[in-house]
Amino acid sequence: MKARVALIAVVAFIGMVDALFLSLKRNSGPIPCHITRGCNDVLTSKYSALAGIPISWFGMAFYLTVFSLAVFASFDAGKPGGQPLRWIYMLSGLALIISGLLVGVQAFILKAFCEYCLLSAILVLTIFLLAPQPFRRTHPQ
Amino acid sequence: MPKLGKPLIVIIVAVGVAAAAAVYLSREPQPVTETSAAATLDTKGGGHFRGPENAAVTLVEFGDYQCPSCKAFAPVVQEVLNRYPKQVRLEFHHYPLISIHPNSMAASLAAEAAGEQGKYWEMHDQIFEYQERWAPSSNPEPEFLAMASRIGLNANAFMQAMRSPQLRDRIIQDVVRAREANIEAVPTFFIDGQQIHVPLSVNAFVDVIDARLKK
Repeated sequence: MKARVALIAVVAFIGMVDALFLSLKRNSGPIPCHITRGCNDVLTSKYSALAGIPISWFGMAFYLTVFSLAVFASFDAGKPGGQPLRWIYMLSGLALIISGLLVGVQAFILKAFCEYCLLSAILVLTIFLLAPQPFRRTHPQ
Repeated sequence: MPKLGKPLIVIIVAVGVAAAAAVYLSREPQPVTETSAAATLDTKGGGHFRGPENAAVTLVEFGDYQCPSCKAFAPVVQEVLNRYPKQVRLEFHHYPLISIHPNSMAASLAAEAAGEQGKYWEMHDQIFEYQERWAPSSNPEPEFLAMASRIGLNANAFMQAMRSPQLRDRIIQDVVRAREANIEAVPTFFIDGQQIHVPLSVNAFVDVIDARLKK
Protein backbone atom coordinates (compact mmCIF):
# COMPACT_ATOMS: atom_id res chain seq x y z
CA MET A 1 0.00 0.00 0.00
CA LYS A 2 2.82 2.39 0.86
CA ALA A 3 4.44 1.91 -2.55
CA ARG A 4 1.12 2.58 -4.23
CA VAL A 5 0.62 5.82 -2.28
CA ALA A 6 4.18 6.90 -3.12
CA LEU A 7 3.49 6.20 -6.80
CA ILE A 8 0.32 8.32 -6.64
CA ALA A 9 2.37 11.15 -5.12
CA VAL A 10 4.98 10.88 -7.90
CA VAL A 11 2.32 10.89 -10.63
CA ALA A 12 0.55 13.86 -9.00
CA PHE A 13 3.89 15.69 -8.81
CA ILE A 14 4.41 15.19 -12.57
CA GLY A 15 0.86 16.48 -13.05
CA MET A 16 1.68 19.60 -11.05
CA VAL A 17 4.68 20.31 -13.28
CA ASP A 18 2.58 19.74 -16.41
CA ALA A 19 -0.29 21.97 -15.19
CA LEU A 20 2.06 24.75 -14.07
CA PHE A 21 3.97 24.54 -17.35
CA LEU A 22 0.73 24.97 -19.31
CA SER A 23 -0.38 27.86 -17.09
CA LEU A 24 2.92 29.66 -17.64
CA LYS A 25 3.08 28.94 -21.37
CA ARG A 26 -0.49 30.10 -21.93
CA ASN A 27 0.58 33.69 -21.33
CA SER A 28 3.81 33.64 -23.28
CA GLY A 29 2.94 33.29 -26.93
CA PRO A 30 2.45 30.36 -29.31
CA ILE A 31 2.96 26.92 -27.79
CA PRO A 32 4.77 24.48 -30.06
CA CYS A 33 3.82 20.80 -30.13
CA HIS A 34 6.52 18.15 -30.53
CA ILE A 35 4.44 14.98 -30.84
CA THR A 36 0.92 16.10 -31.76
CA ARG A 37 -0.25 19.00 -33.94
CA GLY A 38 -2.44 21.81 -32.68
CA CYS A 39 -1.32 22.69 -29.13
CA ASN A 40 -1.98 26.32 -29.89
CA ASP A 41 -5.46 25.63 -31.21
CA VAL A 42 -6.39 23.68 -28.10
CA LEU A 43 -4.83 26.06 -25.61
CA THR A 44 -6.32 29.19 -27.16
CA SER A 45 -9.75 27.72 -27.81
CA LYS A 46 -12.83 28.77 -25.86
CA TYR A 47 -12.72 25.38 -24.13
CA SER A 48 -9.35 26.14 -22.55
CA ALA A 49 -10.87 28.24 -19.77
CA LEU A 50 -13.87 28.05 -17.49
CA ALA A 51 -15.35 31.30 -16.18
CA GLY A 52 -12.17 33.03 -17.32
CA ILE A 53 -9.92 30.68 -15.38
CA PRO A 54 -7.60 28.51 -17.50
CA ILE A 55 -8.38 24.78 -17.21
CA SER A 56 -4.72 24.20 -16.35
CA TRP A 57 -5.24 25.98 -13.01
CA PHE A 58 -8.05 23.56 -12.17
CA GLY A 59 -5.63 20.77 -13.08
CA MET A 60 -3.04 22.26 -10.78
CA ALA A 61 -5.59 22.38 -7.92
CA PHE A 62 -6.48 18.73 -8.56
CA TYR A 63 -2.88 17.49 -8.63
CA LEU A 64 -1.93 19.54 -5.58
CA THR A 65 -4.89 18.10 -3.66
CA VAL A 66 -4.07 14.53 -4.70
CA PHE A 67 -0.38 15.03 -3.90
CA SER A 68 -1.24 16.45 -0.47
CA LEU A 69 -3.67 13.62 0.27
CA ALA A 70 -1.06 11.04 -0.79
CA VAL A 71 1.55 12.67 1.46
CA PHE A 72 -0.85 12.70 4.41
CA ALA A 73 -1.80 9.09 3.69
CA SER A 74 1.84 8.00 3.62
CA PHE A 75 2.53 9.70 6.97
CA ASP A 76 -0.61 8.10 8.38
CA ALA A 77 0.98 4.65 8.04
CA GLY A 78 -1.18 2.96 10.62
CA LYS A 79 -4.38 3.34 8.61
CA PRO A 80 -3.96 1.92 5.12
CA GLY A 81 -6.95 2.71 2.96
CA GLY A 82 -7.99 5.55 5.26
CA GLN A 83 -9.87 8.76 4.50
CA PRO A 84 -7.21 10.47 2.28
CA LEU A 85 -7.16 7.49 -0.09
CA ARG A 86 -10.95 7.47 -0.36
CA TRP A 87 -10.77 11.11 -1.40
CA ILE A 88 -8.07 10.39 -3.97
CA TYR A 89 -10.24 7.66 -5.48
CA MET A 90 -13.33 9.87 -5.68
CA LEU A 91 -11.48 12.98 -6.89
CA SER A 92 -9.58 11.07 -9.55
CA GLY A 93 -12.83 9.42 -10.69
CA LEU A 94 -14.37 12.86 -11.17
CA ALA A 95 -11.19 14.16 -12.85
CA LEU A 96 -11.20 11.13 -15.15
CA ILE A 97 -14.70 12.00 -16.38
CA ILE A 98 -13.66 15.63 -16.98
CA SER A 99 -10.44 14.52 -18.72
CA GLY A 100 -12.48 12.22 -20.96
CA LEU A 101 -14.71 15.12 -21.91
CA LEU A 102 -11.72 17.35 -22.65
CA VAL A 103 -10.09 14.67 -24.81
CA GLY A 104 -13.45 14.36 -26.61
CA VAL A 105 -13.48 18.12 -27.23
CA GLN A 106 -9.98 17.86 -28.73
CA ALA A 107 -10.89 14.88 -30.91
CA PHE A 108 -14.37 15.82 -32.14
CA ILE A 109 -14.78 19.58 -31.85
CA LEU A 110 -11.33 21.12 -32.18
CA LYS A 111 -9.89 18.24 -34.21
CA ALA A 112 -6.52 19.12 -32.73
CA PHE A 113 -4.56 17.55 -29.91
CA CYS A 114 -2.35 19.08 -27.27
CA GLU A 115 0.29 16.65 -26.03
CA TYR A 116 0.49 18.28 -22.60
CA CYS A 117 -3.28 17.88 -22.16
CA LEU A 118 -3.11 14.25 -23.29
CA LEU A 119 -0.30 13.65 -20.79
CA SER A 120 -2.55 15.08 -18.08
CA ALA A 121 -5.37 12.73 -19.08
CA ILE A 122 -2.96 9.78 -18.85
CA LEU A 123 -1.77 10.93 -15.41
CA VAL A 124 -5.36 11.22 -14.16
CA LEU A 125 -6.12 7.72 -15.44
CA THR A 126 -2.97 6.40 -13.74
CA ILE A 127 -3.93 7.98 -10.42
CA PHE A 128 -7.43 6.53 -10.69
CA LEU A 129 -6.07 3.05 -11.39
CA LEU A 130 -3.53 3.30 -8.55
CA ALA A 131 -6.02 4.61 -5.99
CA PRO A 132 -7.41 1.79 -3.84
CA GLN A 133 -11.13 1.37 -4.33
CA PRO A 134 -12.78 2.36 -1.01
CA PHE A 135 -16.00 0.47 -1.66
CA ARG A 136 -14.40 -2.89 -2.49
CA ARG A 137 -15.19 -5.52 0.09
CA THR A 138 -12.12 -7.10 1.67
CA HIS A 139 -12.45 -10.78 2.51
CA PRO A 140 -11.09 -11.96 5.83
CA GLN A 141 -8.34 -14.56 5.62
CA MET B 1 -3.43 17.09 14.06
CA PRO B 2 -0.30 15.71 15.66
CA LYS B 3 1.45 14.89 12.36
CA LEU B 4 0.68 18.04 10.39
CA GLY B 5 4.21 19.46 10.36
CA LYS B 6 6.17 16.92 8.30
CA PRO B 7 3.56 16.37 5.59
CA LEU B 8 3.14 20.14 5.18
CA ILE B 9 6.88 20.61 4.76
CA VAL B 10 6.96 17.85 2.11
CA ILE B 11 4.02 19.46 0.26
CA ILE B 12 5.51 22.96 0.31
CA VAL B 13 8.92 21.69 -0.89
CA ALA B 14 7.26 19.65 -3.65
CA VAL B 15 5.22 22.63 -4.86
CA GLY B 16 8.39 24.72 -4.92
CA VAL B 17 10.29 22.10 -6.91
CA ALA B 18 7.34 21.65 -9.30
CA ALA B 19 7.14 25.41 -9.85
CA ALA B 20 10.88 25.64 -10.48
CA ALA B 21 10.71 22.73 -12.94
CA ALA B 22 7.75 24.32 -14.76
CA VAL B 23 9.52 27.68 -15.00
CA TYR B 24 12.67 25.97 -16.31
CA LEU B 25 10.75 23.98 -18.93
CA SER B 26 8.68 26.96 -20.08
CA ARG B 27 11.60 29.34 -20.48
CA GLU B 28 11.90 30.90 -23.90
CA PRO B 29 14.67 29.74 -26.17
CA GLN B 30 17.70 32.00 -26.33
CA PRO B 31 17.44 34.69 -29.00
CA VAL B 32 18.71 33.38 -32.28
CA THR B 33 22.16 34.39 -33.36
CA GLU B 34 23.21 35.73 -36.74
CA THR B 35 24.22 32.29 -37.88
CA SER B 36 21.23 30.31 -36.66
CA ALA B 37 18.50 28.91 -38.91
CA ALA B 38 15.90 31.50 -37.94
CA ALA B 39 18.32 34.38 -38.51
CA THR B 40 18.68 33.38 -42.13
CA LEU B 41 14.92 33.64 -42.63
CA ASP B 42 14.49 34.42 -46.28
CA THR B 43 11.32 36.40 -46.89
CA LYS B 44 12.55 38.21 -49.97
CA GLY B 45 10.29 37.95 -52.96
CA GLY B 46 7.17 36.93 -51.07
CA GLY B 47 4.72 38.06 -48.51
CA HIS B 48 2.17 40.83 -48.42
CA PHE B 49 2.92 44.20 -46.88
CA ARG B 50 0.72 46.44 -44.79
CA GLY B 51 2.15 49.76 -43.72
CA PRO B 52 4.69 52.25 -45.11
CA GLU B 53 7.43 50.92 -47.37
CA ASN B 54 10.13 52.89 -45.55
CA ALA B 55 9.09 51.72 -42.07
CA ALA B 56 11.97 51.27 -39.63
CA VAL B 57 10.58 47.95 -38.38
CA THR B 58 9.11 45.15 -40.45
CA LEU B 59 7.08 42.71 -38.42
CA VAL B 60 7.03 39.40 -40.29
CA GLU B 61 4.18 37.04 -39.51
CA PHE B 62 3.77 33.44 -40.58
CA GLY B 63 0.11 32.64 -40.14
CA ASP B 64 -2.61 30.15 -40.91
CA TYR B 65 -6.07 31.53 -41.67
CA GLN B 66 -7.84 28.60 -40.01
CA CYS B 67 -5.82 28.83 -36.81
CA PRO B 68 -7.88 30.33 -33.95
CA SER B 69 -4.74 31.72 -32.37
CA CYS B 70 -3.88 33.61 -35.58
CA LYS B 71 -7.39 35.09 -35.57
CA ALA B 72 -6.88 36.14 -31.96
CA PHE B 73 -3.59 37.84 -32.85
CA ALA B 74 -5.02 39.68 -35.89
CA PRO B 75 -6.61 42.61 -33.97
CA VAL B 76 -3.52 42.84 -31.74
CA VAL B 77 -1.26 43.18 -34.78
CA GLN B 78 -3.66 45.71 -36.31
CA GLU B 79 -3.57 47.77 -33.12
CA VAL B 80 0.25 47.69 -33.22
CA LEU B 81 0.15 48.99 -36.81
CA ASN B 82 -2.30 51.71 -35.73
CA ARG B 83 0.03 52.77 -32.92
CA TYR B 84 3.06 52.97 -35.22
CA PRO B 85 1.60 54.23 -38.51
CA LYS B 86 4.99 55.39 -39.82
CA GLN B 87 7.50 53.14 -38.06
CA VAL B 88 6.09 49.62 -38.47
CA ARG B 89 4.84 47.55 -41.34
CA LEU B 90 3.51 44.00 -41.42
CA GLU B 91 4.78 41.37 -43.82
CA PHE B 92 2.40 38.41 -43.86
CA HIS B 93 3.35 34.94 -45.06
CA HIS B 94 1.14 31.88 -45.38
CA TYR B 95 1.80 28.80 -43.32
CA PRO B 96 -1.34 26.69 -43.76
CA LEU B 97 -1.13 23.64 -41.50
CA ILE B 98 -3.36 21.52 -43.69
CA SER B 99 -3.01 18.38 -41.58
CA ILE B 100 -5.05 19.99 -38.80
CA HIS B 101 -6.71 22.84 -40.73
CA PRO B 102 -8.10 21.31 -43.91
CA ASN B 103 -9.56 24.61 -45.19
CA SER B 104 -6.48 26.70 -44.53
CA MET B 105 -5.01 26.26 -48.02
CA ALA B 106 -8.31 27.32 -49.61
CA ALA B 107 -8.37 30.37 -47.33
CA SER B 108 -4.83 31.32 -48.34
CA LEU B 109 -5.85 30.89 -51.99
CA ALA B 110 -8.88 33.14 -51.39
CA ALA B 111 -6.64 35.84 -49.94
CA GLU B 112 -4.18 35.52 -52.83
CA ALA B 113 -7.05 35.53 -55.34
CA ALA B 114 -8.36 38.76 -53.80
CA GLY B 115 -4.82 40.12 -53.98
CA GLU B 116 -4.93 39.63 -57.75
CA GLN B 117 -7.66 42.27 -57.76
CA GLY B 118 -5.75 44.48 -55.36
CA LYS B 119 -7.76 43.59 -52.26
CA TYR B 120 -5.53 41.16 -50.41
CA TRP B 121 -5.84 42.86 -47.01
CA GLU B 122 -9.57 43.35 -47.27
CA MET B 123 -9.94 39.61 -47.83
CA HIS B 124 -7.36 38.85 -45.13
CA ASP B 125 -9.51 40.73 -42.61
CA GLN B 126 -12.72 39.09 -43.82
CA ILE B 127 -11.24 35.61 -43.63
CA PHE B 128 -10.29 36.08 -39.99
CA GLU B 129 -13.53 37.86 -39.11
CA TYR B 130 -15.69 35.04 -40.45
CA GLN B 131 -13.36 32.17 -39.52
CA GLU B 132 -16.07 30.40 -37.50
CA ARG B 133 -18.30 30.27 -40.58
CA TRP B 134 -15.98 28.79 -43.17
CA ALA B 135 -13.52 26.82 -41.01
CA PRO B 136 -15.84 23.90 -40.13
CA SER B 137 -17.42 23.75 -43.60
CA SER B 138 -16.82 20.79 -45.91
CA ASN B 139 -16.99 23.24 -48.81
CA PRO B 140 -15.82 26.74 -47.78
CA GLU B 141 -15.81 28.21 -51.31
CA PRO B 142 -19.33 29.72 -51.13
CA GLU B 143 -18.26 31.54 -47.94
CA PHE B 144 -15.15 32.91 -49.65
CA LEU B 145 -17.27 33.92 -52.63
CA ALA B 146 -19.66 35.78 -50.31
CA MET B 147 -16.69 37.62 -48.78
CA ALA B 148 -15.39 38.41 -52.27
CA SER B 149 -18.69 40.02 -53.27
CA ARG B 150 -18.81 41.87 -49.92
CA ILE B 151 -15.51 43.58 -50.68
CA GLY B 152 -16.48 44.24 -54.28
CA LEU B 153 -14.44 41.66 -56.19
CA ASN B 154 -15.29 40.32 -59.61
CA ALA B 155 -16.69 36.89 -58.73
CA ASN B 156 -15.67 35.09 -61.92
CA ALA B 157 -12.11 36.40 -61.84
CA PHE B 158 -11.92 35.55 -58.13
CA MET B 159 -13.03 31.95 -58.64
CA GLN B 160 -10.68 31.56 -61.58
CA ALA B 161 -7.77 32.88 -59.50
CA MET B 162 -8.68 30.49 -56.65
CA ARG B 163 -7.78 27.65 -59.01
CA SER B 164 -4.59 29.24 -60.27
CA PRO B 165 -1.50 27.00 -59.91
CA GLN B 166 0.66 30.14 -59.73
CA LEU B 167 -1.11 31.34 -56.60
CA ARG B 168 -0.83 27.87 -55.05
CA ASP B 169 2.91 27.91 -55.83
CA ARG B 170 3.22 31.28 -54.10
CA ILE B 171 1.69 29.81 -50.94
CA ILE B 172 3.89 26.71 -51.14
CA GLN B 173 6.95 28.94 -51.38
CA ASP B 174 5.88 30.52 -48.10
CA VAL B 175 5.45 27.06 -46.55
CA VAL B 176 8.97 26.15 -47.67
CA ARG B 177 10.32 29.34 -46.09
CA ALA B 178 8.48 28.56 -42.86
CA ARG B 179 9.94 25.07 -42.74
CA GLU B 180 13.43 26.33 -43.51
CA ALA B 181 13.05 28.74 -40.58
CA ASN B 182 12.06 25.82 -38.31
CA ILE B 183 8.73 27.39 -37.43
CA GLU B 184 6.92 25.11 -35.02
CA ALA B 185 3.70 27.00 -34.35
CA VAL B 186 1.46 29.65 -35.82
CA PRO B 187 1.41 32.55 -35.64
CA THR B 188 5.16 33.04 -35.50
CA PHE B 189 6.62 36.53 -35.64
CA PHE B 190 10.02 37.81 -36.70
CA ILE B 191 11.69 41.20 -36.57
CA ASP B 192 14.85 41.59 -38.63
CA GLY B 193 15.06 37.84 -39.14
CA GLN B 194 14.94 37.22 -35.43
CA GLN B 195 12.03 35.27 -34.04
CA ILE B 196 10.18 37.06 -31.26
CA HIS B 197 8.12 35.32 -28.60
CA VAL B 198 5.21 37.50 -27.62
CA PRO B 199 1.99 36.79 -25.76
CA LEU B 200 -1.41 37.95 -26.97
CA SER B 201 -0.92 41.53 -25.87
CA VAL B 202 -0.38 44.81 -27.69
CA ASN B 203 1.98 45.98 -24.94
CA ALA B 204 4.23 42.98 -25.47
CA PHE B 205 4.67 43.94 -29.13
CA VAL B 206 5.13 47.57 -28.14
CA ASP B 207 7.99 46.64 -25.78
CA VAL B 208 9.80 44.69 -28.50
CA ILE B 209 9.24 47.36 -31.15
CA ASP B 210 10.28 50.21 -28.86
CA ALA B 211 13.50 48.35 -28.05
CA ARG B 212 14.12 47.86 -31.77
CA LEU B 213 13.41 51.51 -32.57
CA LYS B 214 15.84 52.67 -29.87
CA LYS B 215 18.72 50.74 -31.47
